[in-house]
Amino acid sequence: MFGDRHLIVVDLGFGDAGKGATVDWLCAPETGLDVSAVVRFNGGAQAAHNVVAGGRHHTFRQFGSGTFSRVPTLLSRHMLVEPIALAAEARALALLGIADPLALMSVDERALLTTPIHGAANRCGEDARGASRHGSCGIGIGETASYALEHDAPRVGDCRRPEVLRRKLIALQEHYRPLLAGSGHRYDSIDDLVDVYTEFARAVAILPGDQLAVFAESGRLVFEGAQGALLDEWRGLHPYTTWSTVEPRHARAMLARIDAPGYVLGITRSYFTRHGAGPFPTEDAELRIPERHNGTGAYQGEFRTGHLDPILLRYAVDACGGIDGLVVNHMDAVGDIRTATGYLTTDGYADRLDCGTWQDLDHQQRLTDLLNDATPVLADLPADVPGYLEAELGVPVALTAHGPDRADRRARSVQLTRPARADHTIAPPTTA
Amino acid sequence: MGYGNWDDSAYDAARTFRAARGLDDFGYTADMRSVPWDKWTAHTSLDPKNVGMRESRDSADHGNSLPIAVLFDVTGSMGAVPRIMQEKLGKLHGLLQRKGYADDPQIMFGGIGDADTDRVPLQVGQFESDNRMDEQLRLILLEGGGGGQKSESYELAAYFMARHTATDAWDKRGQKGYLFIVGDELNKDRLASRHIRNVIGDKVSQDVSVESIYRELADRWHVHYILPNQSSYYGDPEIAEHWRGLLGERFLRLDDPAAVCELIALTIGIGEDRIDLGAGLADLRDIGSLDEADAVGKALAPLGAGRRTRSAGALPAGTGDDDVDFGN
Repeated sequence: MFGDRHLIVVDLGFGDAGKGATVDWLCAPETGLDVSAVVRFNGGAQAAHNVVAGGRHHTFRQFGSGTFSRVPTLLSRHMLVEPIALAAEARALALLGIADPLALMSVDERALLTTPIHGAANRCGEDARGASRHGSCGIGIGETASYALEHDAPRVGDCRRPEVLRRKLIALQEHYRPLLAGSGHRYDSIDDLVDVYTEFARAVAILPGDQLAVFAESGRLVFEGAQGALLDEWRGLHPYTTWSTVEPRHARAMLARIDAPGYVLGITRSYFTRHGAGPFPTEDAELRIPERHNGTGAYQGEFRTGHLDPILLRYAVDACGGIDGLVVNHMDAVGDIRTATGYLTTDGYADRLDCGTWQDLDHQQRLTDLLNDATPVLADLPADVPGYLEAELGVPVALTAHGPDRADRRARSVQLTRPARADHTIAPPTTA
Repeated sequence: MGYGNWDDSAYDAARTFRAARGLDDFGYTADMRSVPWDKWTAHTSLDPKNVGMRESRDSADHGNSLPIAVLFDVTGSMGAVPRIMQEKLGKLHGLLQRKGYADDPQIMFGGIGDADTDRVPLQVGQFESDNRMDEQLRLILLEGGGGGQKSESYELAAYFMARHTATDAWDKRGQKGYLFIVGDELNKDRLASRHIRNVIGDKVSQDVSVESIYRELADRWHVHYILPNQSSYYGDPEIAEHWRGLLGERFLRLDDPAAVCELIALTIGIGEDRIDLGAGLADLRDIGSLDEADAVGKALAPLGAGRRTRSAGALPAGTGDDDVDFGN
């Protein structure tokens, strides 16, 4: 279906569209794609990719979603690695019958380390924002990224050098001491942290430099993105974004370095969801779609549901620099779903959103303002949802899912010939 | 998305990582941690008191049994080494058989402490040919004691091996077994009769000299002392001098404690004339043990240089100045 190309799996919405279940299916032996590793190229332990396969359910956070099929995971240098959460996840996987899950894990030594100190600082920051929270998960992902911009931050490779690690953790603690004082957000002692990270370095393979080619030699790579393109740090709806490059440029660059071809698979549900604050034009509180695995988070707020939004999907495809194929999940939930044909905005009717210049946060803020005041023009969803999305986005649908289980996924029977890179001509600007 | 709860602790995580390395396999040691120290005891299956003989016997399946005993120091000066031993030694039997270094290896594990200061100064398992060896390793108590006087009760272990083992290899074929003591300190000055009485239960009234018990032991065993790196006295000349005086070329310094299983296997393969050092190291590289091969090569360089590898029953002579220190 994908030739010999490596696969890059990217969510085209705000997250939760079904990357995990898709990756699980791609990695399953019965699918026959011969996957040698799942590579995480963005985000950290805040990812929550739900996989249901043959009666087992797990929420994959740092382990790749191919773990049920014993496909190894490589956490690339773009990952923010949280070893304490990794241990908890390993225990959960072991309880599901995955033997020695940590043996399946490799980590690039250059990846940043997310610590409980970052987490405490993150929760402090969100507390201070009060009602205007960003929808953070409270683990410290943003703090990890922002601290590393200006400081010599702890990295995974430091876990093998306890004295270096200790020095960096003390510096981190000192940096956040004023913020954390009296906050009530506690974290483990430096001694305990050094101990756990030292054990982490002994139990998990920590790899020097780029080892991607080694994994690629033994089979196909699946790059498992986290979050969604609409939360991308530069392309998302600022400031409701994540400190992470969600769109596939890092994955593409990694493949380019080993001179290997990639196929970007964009993921959407048949409707839209959003967990956390920020614009959501098609949100409809009347929609009652059962949500098995997403609840209300203490720092994220409630799980929000809305109608299908091809305008935002087109924008996400543009933000990804085009995609090669589409996956449409939750096809079993289309009952009350409608679809947006455009928005009524303060600037008039709009059916395209301009991607603007990369890293132009003013532009992203204007998009956010526009969408905050946008009213969607809704139409009935055509019966042939995959065909409709193919026409709207100019991208073939490779795979659909009709239920939560691995067995509920179907490769599209009418596969277009080798999909061309989507035409991603930027539409004329309709924003202010 | 959806990570709202955070209740995991660094302690639980460290434990998980340790378990992934097989270290929680020291189930008995973990059990003892919940008991006051002065109540610590050897597991009944490893307690040397009044056990009579530990036997290595031929069977229908194993007609050519070769007894191998690995007793490692479990005191605090050994640092993380006992845990590494436990992790690695489980592979020993497979390595010996896979490479044909011994036909029917029967392996016994034990732990050595300090009879002056420790609750459990000696632990000895049974000779086993199957995965019950792993069980023995799991039951060894890593007391982590030791008296800080640069000596442990190795001589008490030597006494047990000399007086309380019986092997068909020797009884039927006149073939010596292999004993490996893994440690980092000196013997006690003398083998104290009260230690024998208290720990092993033999009614002995006179102390014995260390030299004489090792000489007696060498009648039926090829005795080796392995000094692994990461222990306290790896570079201490007094330790090396002491053991070379007793065992000559069978005092082995090991750069990388993780290579202990490979070192023991090759020592036996060479001792049994199944391989020479070069072929053994090639074997290790074949199975992917590259780092281990380097460490073993250094440790066994004196044997590989064409020295006599099988002694006839007396203590090998101390080899003096030409016994180059290959440890560093």
